[in-house]
Amino acid sequence: MLNYIWGGLIIISLVFAIVQDTADLMTDRYLNSKPWEVEIKFPEDADKERRQSVRLGLPDNSEAITATWRPVDDQTEVIISVTDKLPKHWQDVAQEQEARDKNTLRAILKDFDSQTGMATIVLPEVRFVKIRAIQTAAFDMAEFAVTLAIGLIGIMALWLGLMQIAKEAGLINLIVKAVQPFMRYLFPNVPKDHPALGMISLNLSANVLGLGNAATPLGIKAMEELQKINPNKDEASNAMCMFLTLNTSSVQLLPPATLVAIMGLGVNELIVSITLATAVATIVGVIAAKWYARKYPEPSLIENGEEN
Amino acid sequence: MQTFAVFILPLIIVLIPLYGLIKKVPVYEVFVDGAKEGFQIGVRIIPYLVAILFAIGMFRASGAMDWMITGLRPVLSLVGFPADLLPMAIFRPLTGSGSVGILADLIAVHGEDSLIVKMAATMFGSTETTFYVIAVYFGSVGIRRMRYAVQTGLIADLAGIIASVAVVYWLLG
Repeated sequence: MLNYIWGGLIIISLVFAIVQDTADLMTDRYLNSKPWEVEIKFPEDADKERRQSVRLGLPDNSEAITATWRPVDDQTEVIISVTDKLPKHWQDVAQEQEARDKNTLRAILKDFDSQTGMATIVLPEVRFVKIRAIQTAAFDMAEFAVTLAIGLIGIMALWLGLMQIAKEAGLINLIVKAVQPFMRYLFPNVPKDHPALGMISLNLSANVLGLGNAATPLGIKAMEELQKINPNKDEASNAMCMFLTLNTSSVQLLPPATLVAIMGLGVNELIVSITLATAVATIVGVIAAKWYARKYPEPSLIENGEEN
Repeated sequence: MQTFAVFILPLIIVLIPLYGLIKKVPVYEVFVDGAKEGFQIGVRIIPYLVAILFAIGMFRASGAMDWMITGLRPVLSLVGFPADLLPMAIFRPLTGSGSVGILADLIAVHGEDSLIVKMAATMFGSTETTFYVIAVYFGSVGIRRMRYAVQTGLIADLAGIIASVAVVYWLLG
């Protein structure tokens, strides 16, 4: 399943990027090589052979735009600084242009009447926006994945250390005893009194209380305990699938911190609806996982384990 | 409840070593021993996270989403599901930061008190970033074949999404 979703995401991205870029080219969305009429206002007594700051006036735009006049050998560049005073289309071009620096727009001067200052300029061409975007996104996200994983290390070490103490002190065993009756229903294949049940219930409690940064390390610890009793180390066991389902539909009584950050106090009104919706998600998830578990007993019992 | 939540973490962090001391566990040694693993796990999940996140990043950047919304809008309006919620419904299982952005957009467009925003926020609160959870949890123990975990995770998400819309209609609509 994941193979298809993963492959699908990549292929769909490429197809849509190509379709979109072709459509943009056909409809000339970025008006490539269109000459724009502007009036260039020089300071008094300016030497037009030299680089200097100028102001641009557009026929339908009363705001003056600041730019740099930059004569090179055979042509003159007008480097426009990008602000939200620019016409909408110019801002779009600046945003989607190939040049790295999105804060300047390097237009080329075509015709120039040095008496009146009237001129036409051509903006940089914009092509293959989406293709470039998916490529940048792929590299950026790959980098971000590592940042994310490295960022987890510290907090993970803290919780794993605490859990080790809890385990050695016998705290986990106490928890296992307490939650056993309920957990045995969800995880029938986990042996009685196994520490995995304790870790799972700690992870679920962290979720319920909205303690996101504690939930992940505890969940990983639970996963490790489950892996110890997994007959086929390369494949998820039924208990793991159930555990994952519980986590993706995490029951929570307190709203997650991110939601509080965006919504502020408005979140209080939503606690009941969030709790109800998440309860529905959890119940449906558990029923689904139970159904699948009955359909595919345990990987070791299936002759060819390729169940996607 | 919120005040109570502030105390949970500090209490846990203090009480576990305290309990250990009472039980005569060499707490410092045991802590370090357990914490050692943190680094390996962090490194072990990197390939899984890279695989999931870069594919999702490409999908987001390609703009395929906009086309899907256009296509699905008439179908969804038939069953009474607001089409504006579709990006949230699709992106919530894929990316946490992406769905935060979508929620912020919806607030900017519709206002905080609109039904759409309440539904989107309920959706955000009631489901998890399924693919991230899959990558991290299965990655941490080196499992590549997930059997039906993706399906059940997505079924739970779908149930949560539908329930969010229904519950908000029912309670606040």
